Amino acid sequence: MLAGEQAIPERPSLLQRMMRANGPMRVRLNIGLLLLIVLLGLLAPLLPLHDPVRPNPLNRFKAPSLEHPFGTDGNGMDVLSRTIHAIRTDFALAISSVALGIVVGAPLGALSGYFGGRLDSVITRITEVFQGFPQILFGMAVLAAAGNTMVNLVLILAFYNVPVYSKMVRSVTLPLREADFVQAARVAGNSPLSVVFRHVLPNTLVPVFSQLPLSCAYAAQMIAGLSFIGLGVAIPTPEWGSMIQLGANQLVFGKWWASIFPGLALFISVWLLNNVSDLFGSLVVRRA
Amino acid sequence: MLDSMREWGFFLLRRFGVFLIALFGVSVITFTVTHKIGNPVYLLVGTRYNQEMLDNIRREIGLDRPLHEQYLRYAGNLLQGNLGISRFSYNPVLEDIGRRLPATLELSSWALAMGVLWAVPAGILAALRPQGRMARLADLVARTGVSMPGFWLGLLLIFVFFAELHWFPAPLGRIARSIGPPQYVTGWYSIDTLLAGDREAFFSSVSHLILPALTLAITTSPSTLQITRKRMQEVLQSDYIRSARAFGLPGNKVYRYALRNTLGPVITMIAMTYGYLLSGTVLVEVVFTWPGLGLYAVDAMNHSDYEPIMGVVLLSSGFYLLVYLASDIFNALFDPRVRTEL
Repeated sequence: MLAGEQAIPERPSLLQRMMRANGPMRVRLNIGLLLLIVLLGLLAPLLPLHDPVRPNPLNRFKAPSLEHPFGTDGNGMDVLSRTIHAIRTDFALAISSVALGIVVGAPLGALSGYFGGRLDSVITRITEVFQGFPQILFGMAVLAAAGNTMVNLVLILAFYNVPVYSKMVRSVTLPLREADFVQAARVAGNSPLSVVFRHVLPNTLVPVFSQLPLSCAYAAQMIAGLSFIGLGVAIPTPEWGSMIQLGANQLVFGKWWASIFPGLALFISVWLLNNVSDLFGSLVVRRA
Repeated sequence: MLDSMREWGFFLLRRFGVFLIALFGVSVITFTVTHKIGNPVYLLVGTRYNQEMLDNIRREIGLDRPLHEQYLRYAGNLLQGNLGISRFSYNPVLEDIGRRLPATLELSSWALAMGVLWAVPAGILAALRPQGRMARLADLVARTGVSMPGFWLGLLLIFVFFAELHWFPAPLGRIARSIGPPQYVTGWYSIDTLLAGDREAFFSSVSHLILPALTLAITTSPSTLQITRKRMQEVLQSDYIRSARAFGLPGNKVYRYALRNTLGPVITMIAMTYGYLLSGTVLVEVVFTWPGLGLYAVDAMNHSDYEPIMGVVLLSSGFYLLVYLASDIFNALFDPRVRTEL
């Protein structure tokens, strides 16, 4: 096409603009939708929904209707209400396990990166071992051995997040060792530990926070997967994985709603979290 | 010649050392779970016991010994292939695992093949035309695959292709019950039925394989696609490709050079995916009642029996480390730089 010959494009529709959105617009869109989901979960008790844990033996596996927009499950509980209440369970478990992983992993990484030496090589080796570790199987074994509780589930997932964050913080710490402000802090007479915790660690937070949504997405998938096989979260508690499990037997008979809706909610949440993490990552790179 | 032999020797020695250290790490972790978090005494006494019995058994299996002695004993058992005895099948764990391994290997190998066959070409195409329709489609599929919980995707496929369309058989095992398993040769039904020359059985086993393998292929292939695409893009922008173009080399020759230099990381990623798949099949095996290692572990878990699960954990992390080692050696064959770093 020659210069000046360019056709004037038609103004794209809102939908088209949303699909093509990139940069700040796309960030806003993804974060907005994610916040909407979180808000929905937070406000769940106030919304005009059925009781999420009240069984009704006369009302089992009813197809979606006006009364029950997502139908009812094998206990006659309302699937819509449970799907929305499950946001609370899944997000709370995911976030607390990731937060715990950061609280342990980030200082470990900073220490190992700052002091180097033997501690560093030990921590790096441990991280490597964990890359290939069969996490679901290991989670099954620990929960079978230590007791099948939500607390243990969170502890295991936190355990998986420790090497992720220690490795990341370590790699950010390495170049910071010789940074001017760190040297200044050292010369000013701060003890090595105070340099690490008050000057180095706060400066590693940006990559940590861009990794956060990704870890939450992964944790949410693990939580749902483990409770799908009956671990961590037990049935009356609304949780996506156990809901999918409860509906799975009826799926082959064409009663799809009890499994499909909670799975869709999980899928959308993970999708948004992954997108947000990607976009954060690219923003961080652009700024650097 | 001698130099390169020495280089290879050091490389293999170092790489094998890392492999052993990692194996040691894994065994420490499994030891901690079976001996410290779980209490093997309760596995042995049954439901009726008193304090004296507990103490006796503790002494018998050496739980009163110092920790390092306990670990050495445990590691010695592992080296002899003694992974304990399953409490619900009453078989040695190793025997159970051996019987179920082919099912999982068959499923994960099919899944890997299906994933690689689409992800590598799609990644290359996406790199050649980053703004093209194919690149966008690949990106969308990859994003979807990453975010999709595998067990739910499996249920979705069962609903659409079995419950509604009846294109595939019920998700109950590896072959139609009316046909039954073929004569054991490799343990892979899709091969054994072919060897037996039984067409009907072959089609049955393949039709049982497709949906679970597809599920795993969709959820595990995005990383291969992304790395192929990223690496290919990098290579295409590199100086030597630019000079090759500037010298007027024909397009397909340039692409062949580019492709060759893309392969290293792609092979590593494929190896890692394969290593992951051996244990990553668990949930999908549950959904399709595929009688492999994952279903075995879940059965054990439902009987609060953690030794079989730890057996599977050991096997699959060992497998992962081994595959990873193999891919490193393979890469070193093609890229001399790999031999000197680490």
